[in-house]
Amino acid sequence: MTLKIVITVLLGIISGYFILPKNIINYADYIIDVGLMLLLFFVGIDIGLNKSVFSRIKAKGIRILLVPLAIISGSIVGSALAGLILKLPFNEAGAIGAGLGWYSLSSILIASYSNELSALAFISNVIRELIAIITIPLIAKRIGFIEAIAPAGATAMDTSLPIISKSTDSEIALIAFITGAICTFAVPILVPFILNL
Amino acid sequence: MTTRLLMYLGIIVLGGLIGAKVKLKENFIKRLGSFQTACLLFLLFIMGVKIGMDEKVINSFFTIGLNALIMSIFTVSFSVIFVYIINKLFLGGKE
Repeated sequence: MTLKIVITVLLGIISGYFILPKNIINYADYIIDVGLMLLLFFVGIDIGLNKSVFSRIKAKGIRILLVPLAIISGSIVGSALAGLILKLPFNEAGAIGAGLGWYSLSSILIASYSNELSALAFISNVIRELIAIITIPLIAKRIGFIEAIAPAGATAMDTSLPIISKSTDSEIALIAFITGAICTFAVPILVPFILNL
Repeated sequence: MTTRLLMYLGIIVLGGLIGAKVKLKENFIKRLGSFQTACLLFLLFIMGVKIGMDEKVINSFFTIGLNALIMSIFTVSFSVIFVYIINKLFLGGKE
């Protein structure tokens, strides 16, 4: 899937640069809006079908909600600090961190704000997923199991989950799934919110 | 933008309610993943087109790559540090 996504974006960039007529850009934001609504609707249905997530959270106790909270605030603080170095305003840098590794959605959410920032969000969140894949086993070994969920962010419920479950145990895998689900839910809310601060 | 935010949230909640309460056809549930993939790939293509038509972005591609690397290293490091802190403070620091 990651490969498919990267190839699709590259195809889009190439056809935008070489092939398609320039006036198509006038419709792009409108098309993105309609498509995004449809996508979020399907994501919602998916969450609704997995009813067990909510009962699992209850069983585990409210304290595990601190894990996604720490990941979300850590991501935003980290990206804001990187923004200081790169001379990006807080809202722009913070919005990239709030993408939580969900590169496709975060870059789409930023697309109507600025192309440059959208590209930065895409590449930086792709790199986040790559860093996650590489560092999760190392963090689990050297620092701790719970900390190993942190690099994954929103991908803790899908693409990074197999690596987390392999490097830790089943209890942490469950916490990772719940953490990923909460992060996934937070991205479409936090990115536009921070962008508008 | 606040209306947009509420709209996104509303649509997810609407989908969630439909997923949880409405008895959906088996066939539809099976295809849900492909619908999502199709939507997503289409959106990403359009986003790519926008980026490709933006000379400013194309001309600064390598600068963007380096900046992106710095952003993601900071983002990941602070996520790990924050989880480490709450684990030590509230979760008993086990595991």
